[in-house]
Amino acid sequence: MKHTITRKEVLNSADYLIDVVAPNVAKRFVPGNFCVLITIPEGERIPMSIQKVEGDIITLYFKKLGKTSRELDTWKVGDSIYKIIGPMGSPPPIKKYGTVVFASDLVCGHAENWAMCEILKKIPGNHIISIQSFPTEADIYPDKELCEPVADEFILATEDGSRGVKGHYLDVLQKLLEERKIDQVFAGGGIPPLQKISELTKKYNVPVYTTVRQIMVDATGMCGSCRVFIDGEQKLACIDGPMFDGHKVDWEAAISRLAMFTTKEAQAMDCLNEKMKGVK
Amino acid sequence: MAIAKRVPMREQDPKIRITNFDSVPLGYSAEEAVKEAKRCIQCKVPLCETGCPVRMEIKNIIQLIADEKFEEAFFLSKKDNAVPAMTGRVCPQEDQCEGVCVLDKTGQPINIGKLFAFVADLARKKDLNEELKIKENGKKIAIVGCGPAGITCAVDLRKLGYQVTIFEALHMAGGVLQYGIPAFRLPRDVVDYELSYLEKIGVDLQLNQIVGQNIAFEELKKEYQGVYIATGAGAPRFLGCEGEKLKGVYSANEFLIRVNLMKAYKFPDWDTPIICGNSVGVIGCGNVAMDAARCAKRLGAKKVYVLYRRTKECAPARNEEIHHAEEEGILFREMIAPCKMFGNEDGWVTGMQMVKTEFKGCDKSGRPSPVYIKDSEFVIELDTVINALGTSPNRLFLSNVEGLDTHSWGGIKTDENFMTNIPGVFAGGDALTGGSTVIEAMGNGRDAAEAIDKFVTGDA
Repeated sequence: MKHTITRKEVLNSADYLIDVVAPNVAKRFVPGNFCVLITIPEGERIPMSIQKVEGDIITLYFKKLGKTSRELDTWKVGDSIYKIIGPMGSPPPIKKYGTVVFASDLVCGHAENWAMCEILKKIPGNHIISIQSFPTEADIYPDKELCEPVADEFILATEDGSRGVKGHYLDVLQKLLEERKIDQVFAGGGIPPLQKISELTKKYNVPVYTTVRQIMVDATGMCGSCRVFIDGEQKLACIDGPMFDGHKVDWEAAISRLAMFTTKEAQAMDCLNEKMKGVK
Repeated sequence: MAIAKRVPMREQDPKIRITNFDSVPLGYSAEEAVKEAKRCIQCKVPLCETGCPVRMEIKNIIQLIADEKFEEAFFLSKKDNAVPAMTGRVCPQEDQCEGVCVLDKTGQPINIGKLFAFVADLARKKDLNEELKIKENGKKIAIVGCGPAGITCAVDLRKLGYQVTIFEALHMAGGVLQYGIPAFRLPRDVVDYELSYLEKIGVDLQLNQIVGQNIAFEELKKEYQGVYIATGAGAPRFLGCEGEKLKGVYSANEFLIRVNLMKAYKFPDWDTPIICGNSVGVIGCGNVAMDAARCAKRLGAKKVYVLYRRTKECAPARNEEIHHAEEEGILFREMIAPCKMFGNEDGWVTGMQMVKTEFKGCDKSGRPSPVYIKDSEFVIELDTVINALGTSPNRLFLSNVEGLDTHSWGGIKTDENFMTNIPGVFAGGDALTGGSTVIEAMGNGRDAAEAIDKFVTGDA
């Protein structure tokens, strides 16, 4: 199976999207699932959130952060990704919740925001509020990539107030929770804010599903690298998650474990930089 | 009178081999193999064959080697065993064929494993292929999982004329042969070559296909006359003790998958990293523990401890593996059990509290049972901990199959013909037993192939 890139667009100075042919993943994808990417034969197996599925094509959001995403950023439409595997994971129930908020502040979270809002909006009885927050105006994605069309209400926020509502999604959500009845919150993106949103929603007694990103190797339940602790019980983000009840997640462990390979990631980046220097 | 001693196996020097992932045994030369085969007294009733899970004609193969008919010996091995170069290396022969060899009573048993590896290696170098005339029967079988059980079942059914498709979740075939067993025990050119046999005989191998995720199990049941579930036991077990959240704590599976499947020892040329400290504690003393410990040594760890609650004499690891580990400087700490792990403020593991054990009585398998000695706790400093406590059946596939009967521990239930409670759906290998050896799983695959054939042809 050839996973050809059919579109590549800039989202902001650090983020970009690609459309890629992956009928195997597209066929049975449900929001809450993720896929595993191996860009080159020597590559890592990297879990990726999926923003959208159209026919055989899936849309993925990347941040130029690590070696793989930096390298992939140099690829062009027509290039092929070595392997794309999935859909993986156990999505939360796709059902009528009532008033739903999806909040996101980072690339993967923004992708999940779109996918989940789009499907939940189709279910009668759901009212979907999408919150997307960015540090500042320059970081905001192009209009057509924002979640406005897939939500009933859309709130754009910037932390410095340069566009939209001022604040992080946590500030926006807090206000909403004070003013209105919210039945279910979803959140994805940076992990420390997910811990905070879990504390916040707990205070208001509103359930929250959070995407607990962890380091995965095989992503099929065999390595245990992505183990998370839910109410003290060990679960695997790859097959039991990655969306979990945020009120039950051991966030300290999740935040700590996610940083296990930072020194190696830096080493890989250095090597890539050397390699790219050679190319120029 | 037979020669008592084996022709010794030449091996890489321990000092050198701990700096590479190349094969430890160097293999017999033709001359050595013939000499070793000639020690065989060709028993009237070959006990060795009774101990072989895939029922190889061991006695005749050894005679052919003794007669220097290496090609014939290879074809005779291949008749009952799709991957003889691999089993020759990883079978626990001392518990099977070699364990019952009559020469064991007066000297050393025939080195059956290494003889068979010699023949298969020679065939690989010459790319010898048997002439197979497969008579297509037009029937389709799906196999879930391309490990030892799935491979063996696929080959046997293909030879009977079935169209066989194997669905493998990972991006490489082989199961534990690929992700679990390190290259210094099972060189990757051997693995790749023997697995290429599947495609040579026309088995359709579908990688990256996760039944239950991107393909519905119901689809398989509709499209195929029979389904064989060989999803293995690859789910790691943890101690469940304090400190398991710490960084630097691995399951043996994670450690080995990073090294073997993802080639982390080639980082940063390969992308997957591994962090192996200077003071590594491996908990458990099975073959997987030996593999993890020996990989850690090769990754540069100064001290690698095997921490075991019994003595190594009653360990599940093969003698050969323990012997090789000791030669490589792995330190065995016996009669101690783990209590909890400690970490620093950055969340990295720094050590483990252990407790001394003593034997009291025996368990069901007859092994002495260790019990904790009161107030004997002590701390061992470690910066990497590897849990090698065994594995459980993989949950991912099973959680996606509605109505399949399983045991409370996760193993699949079958009748005496390996059929599950779903008609036409069979199961085998570690998914059934919860974890055994490569060759046991292969034996299981053979038996299942026979049962599936009987079921599909209505001969049951």
